Amino acid sequence: MDDHVKEDEQQLNKQVTRRSFLKLMGGLGLAGITMSLAGCSNSSTVEQAGGDGWLPQQYQGRGTWPAQVRGRVPIDPDNPSITRDDQKCILCGQCMEVCDNIQTVAGHYGLPLANDVICVNCGQCTLWCPTAAITERDDIQNVLQFIQDPDKHVVVQTAPATRVALGEEFGLPPGTWVVGQQVAALKRLGFNAVFDTNFTADLTIMEEATELIKRITGEINKPLPQFTSCSPGWVKFCEYFYPDLLPHMSSCKSPQQMLGALAKTYYAKSKNIKPENIISVSIMPCTAKKYEMQRPEMISSAHYWNKKGLQDVDVVLTTRELARMIKQQNIDLSKLPEENYDSMLGEGTGAAIIFGATGGVMEAAVRSAYYFITKQQPPANLLNLTPVRGLEGVKEAAVDVPGVGAVKVAVCHGLSNARQVLDAVRQGNAPWHFVEFMSCPGGCISGGGQPRSAVPPSDEIRMARINSLYQADARAVRRESHENAEVLALYQDFLQHPMSELAEELLHTKYTDRGKKIKEITV
Amino acid sequence: MAEKDKWHFTMTPTRYVLLVLGLVGVLMMVYRLVFGLGSATNLNDQWPWGMWIGFDVLTGVALAGGGYSTALLVHILGIKKFSPIARSAMLTSLIGYLLVMAGLFMDIGRWFNFWRPFVSWGYHSVLFEVFWCVSLYTLVQMLEFGEVATEKVKKGWHGLFKKILPALLIIGVLLPTLHQSSLGSLYVIEVGKLYPLWWSMLLPVFFLMSSFFVGPAMVTVETMLGARAHGHKPDISVLQSLIKVSGYLMLVYLVLKIVDLAYRGATGLVFTGNLEGNMFLLEIVFGVIIPIVICFTPQLRNSVGGLVTFGVLVVAGVILNRMNVVFTGMADFMGGAYFPSVIEWLVSIGLIALGVLGYLFIVENFHILPNHKLDQATIPIDGVNSKTSNIEMSN
Amino acid sequence: MSKGVLVDITKCIGCGSCNVACKMWNNLQYNQTAPEKGSGLDAENWTVINRVETEKNNEPVWRFVKYQCLHCEEPACASACFSKAIKKTKDGPVVYDVDLCVGCRYCMLACPFNVPKYEWDKTFPRVRKCQMCAGRVYTGDSPACVSVCPAGALTYGDRNSLLAIAREKINSDSIYVKQIYGEKEAGGTSWLYISDIPFETLGFRTNITTTPLPHYTESILSLTPAVGLGWGALLTGMYVYNRRRNEIANEKEKPDKE
Repeated sequence: MDDHVKEDEQQLNKQVTRRSFLKLMGGLGLAGITMSLAGCSNSSTVEQAGGDGWLPQQYQGRGTWPAQVRGRVPIDPDNPSITRDDQKCILCGQCMEVCDNIQTVAGHYGLPLANDVICVNCGQCTLWCPTAAITERDDIQNVLQFIQDPDKHVVVQTAPATRVALGEEFGLPPGTWVVGQQVAALKRLGFNAVFDTNFTADLTIMEEATELIKRITGEINKPLPQFTSCSPGWVKFCEYFYPDLLPHMSSCKSPQQMLGALAKTYYAKSKNIKPENIISVSIMPCTAKKYEMQRPEMISSAHYWNKKGLQDVDVVLTTRELARMIKQQNIDLSKLPEENYDSMLGEGTGAAIIFGATGGVMEAAVRSAYYFITKQQPPANLLNLTPVRGLEGVKEAAVDVPGVGAVKVAVCHGLSNARQVLDAVRQGNAPWHFVEFMSCPGGCISGGGQPRSAVPPSDEIRMARINSLYQADARAVRRESHENAEVLALYQDFLQHPMSELAEELLHTKYTDRGKKIKEITV
Repeated sequence: MAEKDKWHFTMTPTRYVLLVLGLVGVLMMVYRLVFGLGSATNLNDQWPWGMWIGFDVLTGVALAGGGYSTALLVHILGIKKFSPIARSAMLTSLIGYLLVMAGLFMDIGRWFNFWRPFVSWGYHSVLFEVFWCVSLYTLVQMLEFGEVATEKVKKGWHGLFKKILPALLIIGVLLPTLHQSSLGSLYVIEVGKLYPLWWSMLLPVFFLMSSFFVGPAMVTVETMLGARAHGHKPDISVLQSLIKVSGYLMLVYLVLKIVDLAYRGATGLVFTGNLEGNMFLLEIVFGVIIPIVICFTPQLRNSVGGLVTFGVLVVAGVILNRMNVVFTGMADFMGGAYFPSVIEWLVSIGLIALGVLGYLFIVENFHILPNHKLDQATIPIDGVNSKTSNIEMSN
Repeated sequence: MSKGVLVDITKCIGCGSCNVACKMWNNLQYNQTAPEKGSGLDAENWTVINRVETEKNNEPVWRFVKYQCLHCEEPACASACFSKAIKKTKDGPVVYDVDLCVGCRYCMLACPFNVPKYEWDKTFPRVRKCQMCAGRVYTGDSPACVSVCPAGALTYGDRNSLLAIAREKINSDSIYVKQIYGEKEAGGTSWLYISDIPFETLGFRTNITTTPLPHYTESILSLTPAVGLGWGALLTGMYVYNRRRNEIANEKEKPDKE
């Protein structure tokens, strides 16, 4: 194949163009020789003056900006989530395409810049980049170092969405359920304890549903609708572009940060391990999580122990990085036996599983909110809340809750869709009580850290992963977050009740107004 | 006289050292030509010009200025009392220019293309004028030397050389006048980059004048060295008159420098105490003012010590001036760092060694020095051990 | 008409597309060690984007400054080249012809912006710098870097109309510094810059003469023929005069002796 291409190129090079023929004849004559010796032939200078390379098709022709131009997105060399290898970049413009049109970040802020390269760290560009010039920032070495350090107790958590995508890196069809194999692989890689982010997903529902009810009842003075806060890309997007709506944002941390905080407090305490010896790693479908973990406010454990230098989460690896780590150890994921998560922070319900899909957080929240308000198990239609499932950009539903009436919810994924909802809220014509936002189209299952099974990601693969999650939910024995036994134990032994003082300290956070980093577009 | 006895050159320890240095230099030159400038030198994008241009070429040309200044005095102005030193001064100049050409050849990146400017005329470049003048002048000097050479070999040609000599001499003064000044003009385009103590529209004038007044100083130094080497008494009276020519010119030079500085409002920079200011002071005080004092103080001028001091200071002063223009004055703008590599040193030293050997060989085999007739050829021996064994007959 | 490019520094987002396009079109290598010192230009980096971290109204701001050959209207490098290896084309680009280059590097020394760089690691090095994609400009295209800029920071066109655009911009929008860098610097350059931060802060050389640099040497070189002829005539005259005088002196002596 390659040889064919080379041959073709050579033939192309051998063809005598009119210009090269004239140049040749000109060079043959005495006058020509004299001219070229004396440097009087101008055309050769122009031809020689650089330009012996190539440029992609869309930049050819006489177009001036902005016709045809795509270019690429800016990436800060210090970006914690993504990096770009200029040598691989072909200026195809795909990153610009997704960032501008689907995530509405690039090109949606005014210039000149403040002191920031605007990026919400979602990593969708890594999925769209056809040459893999843009990739996640590789943190494998950090993890290996910690694992090899005998003094360190390395705990790891896995997000809901990785278990339906990791298999794709090992030749399994999209959506293959590999949760047990994933745990087995992590244990073989040397992690001391393997926890499930589903545990804190359930915990998030406990906290977030409680917060929602308090907002509805007016117990806390914050506006409705409440926005979900699990997706760090979305959170940063809101901080940049809709800082005025930040009061709507649930104060709950994302499940990753909740688990990180608990691992170095609750877990450390019960296991009697020094918190500074615990290294908290997470396996995420998401590049923004790499950014989220190093936000300056994400040091609840440091506050709890009053020790400087503690960070709730130490390293975030994407699904792709985990796959590389496993491959580097010559482990074949598909041949591994299924193993179980470690207890204490390892149990998850069906409600937590669907966190990985768009609409999942909302569905899980509705199930538990219903229970909290009515003290009754939700009806069957709430366990299969079809209006918020699927890949439609903005989805709405109204749930009848006895005693409260219709609770209206909305779900959106992909930040361009988020803008529709946010603009409505800004204009004051938002009927909803609760809105779920996910940064990436399709939700976490199509996050920026997931395997590149199709470039750019296809809805087919998104749906395969989503269906796998809903099937697992349907199979689950416990399908509501408030049924999670380990979560209940956590409250009983440590936190007391949702939104208790300690829960506020460990599980809730504040947001930063980044409106100053961008200028309104004025044209 | 048998053919094989026609040439003689006795090797002494010093000459062996020179030969070894020369051979090492040649090896290094081959290395440089094969592997390129980057691997042979410490030149970089901040310092595209270094020791070879700064010292071998710019300084070399200036120091070889003794040739045309002597030629002007002796042959054009007809001041016959200087004629005893004319041939050796012009020989030094010829060898100097050959070394300059070699140094230049080392320094150009695409050396196979050295002939380009002969056909592709970048006439708007100062370097173009320098290139043509230096090339032609070297040719002219070789022809001038032809007159000396044909006294011994190819004697049939001697008449012809004698005939064209006047024209050669006139061209041989004209060309250096042009390119000595042009070497200064080279740095006129460094406006805003070269430190204001040195940058001036008068750079060409300064370069020309200094190359002229350094001539007698060089001749003085050479004559003293030669006299010591060959064990004869130097003719001090000639040198005394000669350096007075320098002295007057240096006086004009000094006044012009001061006026120029004042005109450009740069006088204050002299005494700021920074590197540039101090180097400038060093150059002017030791290279110009003190020599002027020596020159116009009869007691000092009449002593061998005074003459030698004058010569050494003026030569050092001109070297320092060129170094200041090329390095000190450019350092602030260029940034980065440059110090010549071992190879750069070895090539420069090797070239000088070859030049000295060539000079010695020619002096011994041709009629160059006044009290040194060919038909009673001696084997001159340089250095310390010369006095004991210098009158040995060659055949 | 002489072409040029207008760089609006306030519009640059620092994506580096221009740099990649330059590498692609000119087939430049990626070196692992980008130069830290100076502008960042080197033999394989014809254009660079430097991030300048500074302050504006007491707020920290970043500005991305694209730097490359400015393509002077009257280039010092071309005037310094003694073999015509560097020329200013009619279209505006200042281009380099390796076949004519001797490798003296006087162009590097002459450039007021320190742009030309050298392939030090090669046996027969070339001088390297932005060619403003002379081949593309010749056929009516914009330079590669301009063609890929997604932010509209680069505008390509006739220099005169660019100057008009720039003037219009800086006069109508108060954020701009009231200066077009390249309008007068070094006698004017094909590349023009406008900015909201003083150019000095951004690393531009602002203490630069507005006289085209070649004029300095031309004023001296133009004297050469006169000096040459005059000096030559004078020398000949003096030579003839002094020889005649010596001959007379000798003739006078001869009768006495014989």
